[in-house]
Amino acid sequence: MSDVSTSTLPVAPIALAVGDEMPAFEFGPLTRTDFVRYAGAGGDFNAIHHDEPYAQGAGLPSVFGMGMLPAGILGSRVAAWVGPDNLRAFAVRFSGQVWPGDRLTFSGRVTALGREGEPRAELELVVETTKGEPVMQATAEAAIAASD
Amino acid sequence: MQSSELVGRDLGAVSFPVDRSKVAELARAFGDEDPAWFDTEAAAAAGFDGEPTQPTITVLGDHWREGGALAHAEALQLDLARLLHGEASWEYLLPVRVGDRLTARSEVTGTSTREGKRGGKMTFFTIETTYENQRGELAVRRKDTLIERGESA
Repeated sequence: MSDVSTSTLPVAPIALAVGDEMPAFEFGPLTRTDFVRYAGAGGDFNAIHHDEPYAQGAGLPSVFGMGMLPAGILGSRVAAWVGPDNLRAFAVRFSGQVWPGDRLTFSGRVTALGREGEPRAELELVVETTKGEPVMQATAEAAIAASD
Repeated sequence: MQSSELVGRDLGAVSFPVDRSKVAELARAFGDEDPAWFDTEAAAAAGFDGEPTQPTITVLGDHWREGGALAHAEALQLDLARLLHGEASWEYLLPVRVGDRLTARSEVTGTSTREGKRGGKMTFFTIETTYENQRGELAVRRKDTLIERGESA
């Protein structure tokens, strides 16, 4: 980035075609501090996400991350790709827990184009660990620029 | 109580501000350094009419509910040690801006049960929440699926 004070978030709908991919993003290795920072930001104070003795008392090896952390990161990657005002729908299905030390990869692509009063793109999104363990599958719908 | 008797249960309303600081805190938690999340002028320079917010901004309501993120699970008297968040989805009708005040209203709209893979009955609860802004306009609809795993055999 040449100028750190310049936003790169799209404002107007962007042009997308089937097969276009979201810029790849990696987050981690996750730390307990990441969980605590998200707890403070998002308001999820379930002890299972920050209190090691509590988590171990529940039979877990350690605390684990709240699902809304990778969901939120994924949302922010989609917003950075298509523009926050152009997102029309976002749906996530949590398929695996995230643990301290995990590195997460975020990917997505356009699977279909359509129109619902405006040109739209359907997106399929995946979060997994760098070991290939599934974390989240998601879909989104975005308003896009009209094709010529 | 049968879980199906919970359908239609009103889970209450909460009104909360969409603060600049919380948008910036979420951006830091998400590893997102775009200045539009942090700085009014950067958002204006990018061309936004106001300051944008993240797709999961609706979580901020949890700070204002008694019981926080667990308020709904507690209202349904779920066992928190067996609680899973299965799915979440959002439908965006209007942009949410920094400075907005949202009012969230939640209701149980469905329940179902299924045998778990490792035995024991899993119970699914669908909760729908609407977010209205300070002008009384419906801005976001959210749907969550909470799962209570069965007692381990």
